[in-house]
Amino acid sequence: MRQVRLTPRRLAVALATLAVVLAVACGVALAFGSERVPLGGIVAAMWARVTGGPSPLSAEHTAIVFDVRLPRLALALVVGASLSVAGSAFQALLRNPLAEPYILGVSGGAALGAVLSAVVFAAAATGRTMSAFVGALATIAVVYAIGEGREGAPTERLILAGVIVNAFLSSAIIFLMTLTSESGLRGIYSWLIGDLSGSSEALWPIALIALVGATAIFLCARSLNLLMLGERDARALGVQTRAVKVIVYVAASMITAASVAVSGMIGFVGLVIPHAVRLVVGSDNRLVVPASALVGAAFLALGDTLSRTLFAPREIHIGVVTALIGAPVFVYLLRRSW
Amino acid sequence: MSTHSFRRLFHFLLCAACALTLACAQSAPPAAPATSATREVVDDLGRHVQVAARPERIVSLAPNITEILFAIGAGDRIVATTSFCTFPPEAANTTKIGDTQRPDVERILALKPDLVLVSTASQLESISERLGALGVPTVVTTAKGVDGVLTSIERIGVATGDAQAATALAAKLRERIEAVRSAVAGKPAPKVFAIVGNEPLFTTGKGTFLDDLIRLAGGASITADETNEWPQYSAEAVIARAPDFMVVPSVTHGFAATDSGVPASIAATPAVRNNRIIRIDGDLLMRPGPRLVDGLEQLARALHPEAFR
Repeated sequence: MRQVRLTPRRLAVALATLAVVLAVACGVALAFGSERVPLGGIVAAMWARVTGGPSPLSAEHTAIVFDVRLPRLALALVVGASLSVAGSAFQALLRNPLAEPYILGVSGGAALGAVLSAVVFAAAATGRTMSAFVGALATIAVVYAIGEGREGAPTERLILAGVIVNAFLSSAIIFLMTLTSESGLRGIYSWLIGDLSGSSEALWPIALIALVGATAIFLCARSLNLLMLGERDARALGVQTRAVKVIVYVAASMITAASVAVSGMIGFVGLVIPHAVRLVVGSDNRLVVPASALVGAAFLALGDTLSRTLFAPREIHIGVVTALIGAPVFVYLLRRSW
Repeated sequence: MSTHSFRRLFHFLLCAACALTLACAQSAPPAAPATSATREVVDDLGRHVQVAARPERIVSLAPNITEILFAIGAGDRIVATTSFCTFPPEAANTTKIGDTQRPDVERILALKPDLVLVSTASQLESISERLGALGVPTVVTTAKGVDGVLTSIERIGVATGDAQAATALAAKLRERIEAVRSAVAGKPAPKVFAIVGNEPLFTTGKGTFLDDLIRLAGGASITADETNEWPQYSAEAVIARAPDFMVVPSVTHGFAATDSGVPASIAATPAVRNNRIIRIDGDLLMRPGPRLVDGLEQLARALHPEAFR
């Protein structure tokens, strides 16, 4: 991996470039969909919203852009950024390239919570989001309790605990699904693959959790750099390893839990985006964490645009799109770097 | 372990295997139904099945078949149904042999049925083949479209020995369908969007009973051009196609339920603006049994109230 010293200038240039990429991705996501809405009309309508002037778009087109595409784009941005930041945090914290936001059982816990609420209580969207979040938090606590040894929680024990808990939870989910009627199964299935078309009423609380969690991880970025050298070295260099590990573990798990609760389990983003970012900008977490947020948000915005347009007016699952596109792109980056 | 104890273990296992085989052989059902008089029935897949003249122990593996059996007066000869068979209420008194996806073959055999009725909608090819191979008369029904359901009723009547009652029922249902058809004939067809699941948004494509019912009730489904039976559908396409009515089958539960049943993303449509949301029991719209015609009448009345004054 390239080791270039990170100067404030380099940080600013890299993030500004990625911000432009993200802005373009947002533009594309708003401009394309199953229906054709003229691009000039969208821009004018947005300007009209800001200035309070008359909108040139018809009522239908206004609803399509502002009530359908915009909330969905916002959800994609929050979820994409959250999963990528969580992935970069877990990979640094666990010093394991295969670490991803779901490895510590967060997804399984959220899924079990969601499926329970749907199967047992026939809960509506809000209840489902809440119980998914509670399920994820409970799992995080259980995994940490299992993984904790005399010396805090060694990373291998945490990963093992996560894998075991995940296996247990997915069996529980399959069991609950056998008790579900066909119409209920379709919703659960979509949710297990990941879906952004759902209700966006939980957007603000989720965005708030993502912002707080990502900020906490970003503030630990320098300590994470040192932790990647090895725990003992980091301690010798004055890093409060225990505190950093707990903060990063809790923050990354919380933002994963929040994302899974609203969008289901969108795979691949959290694993691949941080790696891709590292291949391009180097491995300094002070840059990797914010860059992953921007790239992850842009990636999911574009991926969702494809899932809405490829077979329009049918929609395909976002999880399918992220893996189908993410895997080849990642292979390309990997081959190029060697 | 010594050679001696090895041999003892081997003997033990051998004896156990023999005992098990014998036990299985004894509990196996008779290869052919005990009734003397059988006749040949052709099912919806074109298979020729030997069935007793008047089967007395009927197993139904689908809710629509259970409804049909009760409607043609064969309900008291049912020995078992699935856990999804909820109508009529008497169906609750029958033995349950699992749900439509995973029926318990052993329990079916133990009930010694002389007729098992399977619907292809349940995708039970392997189970119906196994039952057939074990000598249990197994008749498969597959209905396409509302007219197909009427044919299916008549065929089930032939299989159970209630041909007369079944033909009479089918004729009556056909009459009611005709009445709806003539009442809505020539009326302009309002645009209809069916919400089969609302999170994510699922609707009906062409070829489903729901699609057929919307057309027969004098409506025009805005998703009738979809080749997939139950496509996940774009909210903006719904807004752009501006449906006049929304049909919400009321069993959409689990993940799919907001208070109104209509997601906020498709609120900008004439149907929601004018509060033209039609809620009908989903079983009446998607279960290919006699009550499909009840669903048709309710739908037609909601779409064309003036035609039924």
